[in-house]
Amino acid sequence: MTRHHPDSLSLMEYSAGNLSEPHALCIRLHLDKCSHCRSRVDTLDSLGAVMMEQQPKVSVSESMFDSILAKIDSEPTDQPAMPPAPRIGALQKLLGDDLNSLPWKRQLGDVSVLDITDRFPGQKEQVVLQKLAAGGKAPAHTHRGEETTIVLQGAFADQKGVFNQWDFVVLTDQDEHKPVAVGCEDCITLSVLSAPVKLTGTFTRMLNPFIR
Amino acid sequence: MTTLDQKPASSEGRKDPWSQMLQKVGKSQDREAYHALFEHFGPQIKYYAMANGLASHAEELVQEVFVSIWRRSCLYDWRKAAASTWIFTIARNQRIDMLRKMQRTSAEMQVETEDLWQIPGENDNEPVTSLHRLMSERRIRESLSHLPEEQTTVIAKVYMENKSHQMVADELNIPLGTVKSRVRLALNKLKVILQDQNV
Repeated sequence: MTRHHPDSLSLMEYSAGNLSEPHALCIRLHLDKCSHCRSRVDTLDSLGAVMMEQQPKVSVSESMFDSILAKIDSEPTDQPAMPPAPRIGALQKLLGDDLNSLPWKRQLGDVSVLDITDRFPGQKEQVVLQKLAAGGKAPAHTHRGEETTIVLQGAFADQKGVFNQWDFVVLTDQDEHKPVAVGCEDCITLSVLSAPVKLTGTFTRMLNPFIR
Repeated sequence: MTTLDQKPASSEGRKDPWSQMLQKVGKSQDREAYHALFEHFGPQIKYYAMANGLASHAEELVQEVFVSIWRRSCLYDWRKAAASTWIFTIARNQRIDMLRKMQRTSAEMQVETEDLWQIPGENDNEPVTSLHRLMSERRIRESLSHLPEEQTTVIAKVYMENKSHQMVADELNIPLGTVKSRVRLALNKLKVILQDQNV
């Protein structure tokens, strides 16, 4: 179980560029807001650089350099291109500006969901947005496989603590939890599921991700 | 270029030669410095491509990385990352980008590679320069030489062959838990683990 911040092993897989796109997105959203984890990734990126430096080298030809020069010379100006205006983040590109107005599907009681797996073509995981109405509860459940979650809005609490915006949580089949949305906002999370979730309470199988 | 000669008070913070050259490329499109970077990093990137299964595209990857270095060099800030770290992340992103483009159409690429994998020092709102960023490469190089081979082997497979911890376990025929504990031991000694439990 990982709570609040990604563990070093996940950050290493991120730094090495080995994570699936949905998992990388969860880490990136957290890094954008967590300078502590960003500096861990900076160090891991340096580890990558040192590993690359210590491997064998494969010679490159001068003609390759010439074709690189030809390529940069074919650009409009000799000046390296300036960066475009402020970048739009991945979340905004995927989901727009207003998370609350997405086409949520009301599930049981306080829980709404939106499956966005199709935004990640070619990826194996299921990607689901979940919304727990302010003050609402989700039924107790465990997870088959692994569920990586990042809080996009509001906060939720379970037996183990309170999770605020941009907190990162990984739950496995060892973790049973019963989240409650705290604060005055609906709690919206993005979860990447490697396998369906299994219900433990008396609630039945019709339930979904907070729950699935 | 007098600005290049301004050195910070601490010797730890002094630019390494590659970072100086990269800065020259960014500031004045210095082709001699660019060529020196190519001679130093080109062979590393070519090996990287070959090790992770892009052998038939190795030269293409080297070219893409260097074109990207040229274009972005104006964004490079030596206080935020050493040149080698910055170039590693560009090589990593170009590799991911190349694989993504092979696997799908551009219409399916709703999110760009850089939206997911960050280049250090870019999109970074924090003006703070932490000294440990500058020291970490030297420290890692030193610590790495003291690690047992079984640990460096695992790290090399993760970074150079781009294998997940599970794939490394399968290949070495050892349990996943063993791979993870080797990585943790190594990261601990490299002081990359920053109190996972207490943050």
